[in-house]
Amino acid sequence: MITIRFKINGKQIEVETKSNKRLLDLLREDLGLTGTKEGCAIGECGACTVIMNKKAVNSCMILAGQVDGKEIITIEGIGDTKKLHPLQKNFLKTGAVQCGFCTPGMLMSAYALLLENKKPSEEEIKEAIEGNLCRCTGYKQIIDAIQKTAKELSAVV
Amino acid sequence: MIPELEIYKPNNIDEALALLNELNSDVKIIAGGTDVVPGMQQGSARFKNFSSLMDVGNIPDLQRIELCDDKICIGAGVKFSDLNRNKLIRKYFPLLAEAAGKVGSKQIRNLATVGGNFVNNAPCADSVPPLLVYDAKLRIRSSNSERLIDLEEFLIKPYKTQLKPDELVAEIIIPLVDDNYRGEFYKLGRRRAVSISRITLAVLLKSADNTITNLRVASGAVSPIGKRIYKVEKYAKGKTITEELLKELSTMLGREILGETGLRWSSPYKLPVVQQMFYQLLLDLSPNGKVRQI
Repeated sequence: MITIRFKINGKQIEVETKSNKRLLDLLREDLGLTGTKEGCAIGECGACTVIMNKKAVNSCMILAGQVDGKEIITIEGIGDTKKLHPLQKNFLKTGAVQCGFCTPGMLMSAYALLLENKKPSEEEIKEAIEGNLCRCTGYKQIIDAIQKTAKELSAVV
Repeated sequence: MIPELEIYKPNNIDEALALLNELNSDVKIIAGGTDVVPGMQQGSARFKNFSSLMDVGNIPDLQRIELCDDKICIGAGVKFSDLNRNKLIRKYFPLLAEAAGKVGSKQIRNLATVGGNFVNNAPCADSVPPLLVYDAKLRIRSSNSERLIDLEEFLIKPYKTQLKPDELVAEIIIPLVDDNYRGEFYKLGRRRAVSISRITLAVLLKSADNTITNLRVASGAVSPIGKRIYKVEKYAKGKTITEELLKELSTMLGREILGETGLRWSSPYKLPVVQQMFYQLLLDLSPNGKVRQI
């Protein structure tokens, strides 16, 4: 067993867990944060995307022990059913959610993009979500949702 | 399923080297983890014979990119997203910056390191052909020694390098290229992102008065490991640039690669692509050619 201390969705925590767990397992099994999905487990589908130190990463490629001292944001950290994040609202509005399995990962990639780029071009949006597979929508609606959100958020500021 | 392993997290290079000295082949170095973690998860034989991991991801000295005299020193732990964004790299080694931007996906580039790419030494390692044409050297350290070695010599065969169990690649040292070189990096995968490269080519060309003064070319993925194609480079030197010459060089490149790999099932479709692409790149890089935007 190992003890790790890190920040999850704004809260500093300490967890005792097994050293062979990936960040993905730690989130889902130890912390009950099942919004993060496991797809391919080899870094190709992006369903497990979370934010680590402000950057989008695949949580299937990180061991729990490596998370010590880091800051993690998951889908649970950006909004909830009572108060959706603007990205979540726009995903719903534009029809960017069909089966929904890729959605949390897709949202996290979009969230990471908007953290570093308030006005992304369509190309930049495509690059930000290049590591996220969606087999339902054909991506058009997802790109629309991210564009719409970027516009709304930069209009507020 | 990943076995339960001890994870060490040294804070600096000296601590890391002391651990390597003590644990030797019982410990596997992990940097970005994008090869090691899924490899262990899938039970790959390459990631089995060790009982602990050493995460070098938190060592600041491995993350630097610095201009040192007439060279650029790149910490082996520099992540691809940082390599791609770095102003020095974009200015002096644009092919490396471009290759770094084409590795995997955004998520992978945020974790994966340039050192990990060639230490793993997969045939398709995208950073290798650019590093080879830029004549990259490695500074390799252990607790009681240090050596400088050409990357080319370091790479032995797929997934095998000269790295000894008590050694760590500390940095990559690249001499500044003179301004008269023009270059391009080409990657072909089955899709644009998250794809294992099928073909990579890095080409640097220097010419004067429509004559090739220097050509450097390296291939990846189509060869068992990233390789410079010296025969083509030597042949090109001093020759006048004509379409015939470029065609001749492309044919020769294909022959050399085929000689390296032997005939594979994919040769009939890959070889014409390699040859055609090389021809196109040479044409673009020639004084009268149109330079494609990166």
